[in-house]
Amino acid sequence: MKNRISEQLISALKAAGVDFFVSVPCKLLSGQIQLLEGDSSISYLPVTREEEGFGICAGAHLGGLFPCILMQDSGLGNSVNAIKSLIQFFQIPIVMLMSYRGSPGEPVPAQAPMGWLTPELLRLMQIPVLHCHHRQDIADIGPLVSHAWVTQSPVAILIDFNLMEQN
Amino acid sequence: MNRYQLIESLVPILEDTLVICNIGIPSQELFSICDRDNHFYMLGSMGLCSSIGLGLSLTTKKSVIALEGDGSVLMNLGSLATIANRSPENFVLIIMDNGSYGSTGDQATYTSESTSLAMIARGAGCDNVIECSGIDTKELLGDVLQQRVPSVIVSKIDPGSQPLPVIPLHPIILRERFRSSIKS
Ligand SMILES: [Mg+2]
Repeated sequence: MKNRISEQLISALKAAGVDFFVSVPCKLLSGQIQLLEGDSSISYLPVTREEEGFGICAGAHLGGLFPCILMQDSGLGNSVNAIKSLIQFFQIPIVMLMSYRGSPGEPVPAQAPMGWLTPELLRLMQIPVLHCHHRQDIADIGPLVSHAWVTQSPVAILIDFNLMEQN
Repeated sequence: MNRYQLIESLVPILEDTLVICNIGIPSQELFSICDRDNHFYMLGSMGLCSSIGLGLSLTTKKSVIALEGDGSVLMNLGSLATIANRSPENFVLIIMDNGSYGSTGDQATYTSESTSLAMIARGAGCDNVIECSGIDTKELLGDVLQQRVPSVIVSKIDPGSQPLPVIPLHPIILRERFRSSIKS
């Protein structure tokens, strides 16, 4: 079942035109990362930290590709300046696929304080968000990803801990 | 030789490449010495020059040069590990190492004391790491561009910067003209 969510997410992103992926690891994203590692139809590389990932994605987009970064929501805090002064300043479309580690179900207490901030921080940063609570929400990924391309902006897909963990 | 003189010496061989130039005075110096469409001046995002260069190099056969600083690389050391493991043959990282945070008032960086970025790059797994003087950099860069080997060149230069104005280009104009130079 877990794999099915991963497959659903990755195929929705690919179908919407995303062809370049980087990841900072997350236990909840391991299924997606495994799929990307074995997919020769797209480019994929692991990065050491979110900020670096935004830099690599910006470069890939200058070269014409449509990038996506897989990250935990805590990584948003590591990347505020890169998103503002590189991604939004140069108007680079990018999809942020974020596991919402701070949401209910998360067993690690330290994830919660950043998690409480995540939705409001995304709003303050003027990043359009699709918050997926249920499996059927994933169907809305296509229009959000197209919106990123049309508006040349970053967009975020925030996936609840329980959706990633229990399905 | 300081950074301005180093950039001046490299400009002729940068013409047929795609250049990602570090934020602040390095970009302002390159812009004032010679402004071309194939230059992407970083206007923000401190520390990410090598990462932008790597990402671009993965999408094109053209040679991509990230014109980096020592302070900037120290802010993003993980990038050297990613470069060591994923860099294609067309990517060259030049670290203009003046042992100084030149854009913020020439405070010393740790490369002016015990830290060796060449040894860090080797430890990260980069195969072709060259440490050289500013004067020898042009010839060595010419060689690695011809051989098409992914390389890290640490060019040891003196601190000191030219006082120059902020680059007056709109980011979208800069982005678009850079993009068209990739295609041409
Ligand atoms: Mg320096």
